[in-house]
Amino acid sequence: MTKRILAPIVGIVVFLAAWEGLVRAFKVRRYILRAPSSAVRYLWRFRSDFLDAAGTTAQHAAIGLLISLAVALLVGAVLASNRFLEMATQPVLVLVQVVPWIAYVASVVVWLGAGNGPVLFMVALVCLPAFVFATVDGMRSVEPASLELLASVDAGRWETLRRLRLPAAAPTLFTAARFNIGLALATTYYVEGSNADNQGLGYIGIRAASSSTGADRLWATVFAMAMLGVIALAVLSWAQRTLLHWHAAQRSQPH
Amino acid sequence: MSRIVLRDLTKSFGDLAVVDPISLEIEAGSFVSMIGPSGCGKTTLVRVIAGLERASGGEVLVDGAAPVDARAHKRVAMVPQQPGLLPWRTVKANSRLLLDVNRKANPPDAADPLALLHEVGLGEFLDAYPHELSGGMQQRVALVRALALHAPLLVMDEPFAALDEITRSEMRAILNRLVEGRGVTVLFVTHSIAEAVALSDRVLVSSPRPSNVVADIEIDLPRPRSADVEDEPRYVELCAQVRHALHGSMRR
Ligand SMILES: Nc1ncnc2c1ncn2[C@@H]1O[C@H](COP(=O)(O)OP(=O)(O)OP(=O)(O)O)[C@@H](O)[C@H]1O
Ligand SMILES: [Mg+2]
Repeated sequence: MTKRILAPIVGIVVFLAAWEGLVRAFKVRRYILRAPSSAVRYLWRFRSDFLDAAGTTAQHAAIGLLISLAVALLVGAVLASNRFLEMATQPVLVLVQVVPWIAYVASVVVWLGAGNGPVLFMVALVCLPAFVFATVDGMRSVEPASLELLASVDAGRWETLRRLRLPAAAPTLFTAARFNIGLALATTYYVEGSNADNQGLGYIGIRAASSSTGADRLWATVFAMAMLGVIALAVLSWAQRTLLHWHAAQRSQPH
Repeated sequence: MSRIVLRDLTKSFGDLAVVDPISLEIEAGSFVSMIGPSGCGKTTLVRVIAGLERASGGEVLVDGAAPVDARAHKRVAMVPQQPGLLPWRTVKANSRLLLDVNRKANPPDAADPLALLHEVGLGEFLDAYPHELSGGMQQRVALVRALALHAPLLVMDEPFAALDEITRSEMRAILNRLVEGRGVTVLFVTHSIAEAVALSDRVLVSSPRPSNVVADIEIDLPRPRSADVEDEPRYVELCAQVRHALHGSMRR
């Protein structure tokens, strides 16, 4: 148990120490890379502003992820029951994944107008393919014997979905979520910056990036984003351990 | 009254004839085993009776109704070869699974799975998860899950095939105790002669595919039966009789 908490902390501390050490040892110029200590100092000085912005960003990413998950469950449940639809949808989902959304994010902002709209839309969209693939694979992983058992008492479609397919999809959904959390945060940051909404770490960061005196501010947002990522993954791991304790991957492996 | 009636039932998959015209009646409240070589169509027959597969020809009646109706009214309880427990459900929740779906068809007198779990010796494992149980314990949960439905017909397809010999004989005793006096009709598919004779009122010996019943042997051992029944000369005699019928069918 303590190992579970200690290990990531050790990892982070070692990484930060190495970063700090390298920046100092090689006297890296400030506009190329800041030492973590200077980012932390800057964050601390303007802590209330950054805390506000981080809260907004976290909210954007979390709501976007939840919207994405809800849509993916709906779409995935339909696709899992229909091979033809699944094959027809696959190229579209891959398209969403490979087309660089930076290319069309400006159009989305114009389309949806400034505010939360474009941020949530983009986060939900880029996270959708992984969530849909995970839903379909997970729902298909149900044992035929279990399906037959429920069929033997004439369980309805919805009951089979809820009692069997949905819980069976939980492990793959968690794996997809682990991947999507990073994607969601990065997307939030960028779209906040392209937005005219003046909110979030992304707005601060992207504006700072185009200013000659913004390096401190930029690196502070980068550091804050990293912390948000670490916290989000910790929450996810905790939820996974609590909800999936029955799953083989969650049990300690023999060495 | 007959619980199951088959009249000239046939079943084929495409060109593959699996069940020959078969006619058969199974008395309500009796325990009937079906034994036959691998691949002869026992599972197929069981699935037709349970309403999971359509017959190709002939007629099947379960309690005087079509199997799909019996299924819709939860009048058939299945115990599959693999226990098929859901890993995210506790023992208690798994034993309720069949009651949790299609609830409107639950009988008003559905048995209490908790009492049954205690009866099969799982009282201390109510909140355990399947991965914490042995194979025999998992199969006992599967048995309780089916019995809790309180269905008049219990269909078991080689339920103990994956278990070791010691656990199997233990399961035989548990099953005998559970069904005796409950009035439930049991159709039991097995590869084990000892199992068929120890449990049944009647053993049907099936031929290789396309399957048909080549011998119908009454098991006149007294009830209630304990594990000691397997020491009786009559038991040994009946086992020999079933074995001969089985070998005869294979030579056919
Ligand atoms: N859905 C299906 N489609 C095509 N063929 C099938 C199907 N189900 C079963 N069969 C065929 O029917 C035959 C009988 O299969 P079945 O599973 O009923 O045998 P069984 O008597 O239960 O065998 P075992 O004792 O090994 O379990 C086999 O030859 C099998 O290949
Ligand atoms: Mg079989």
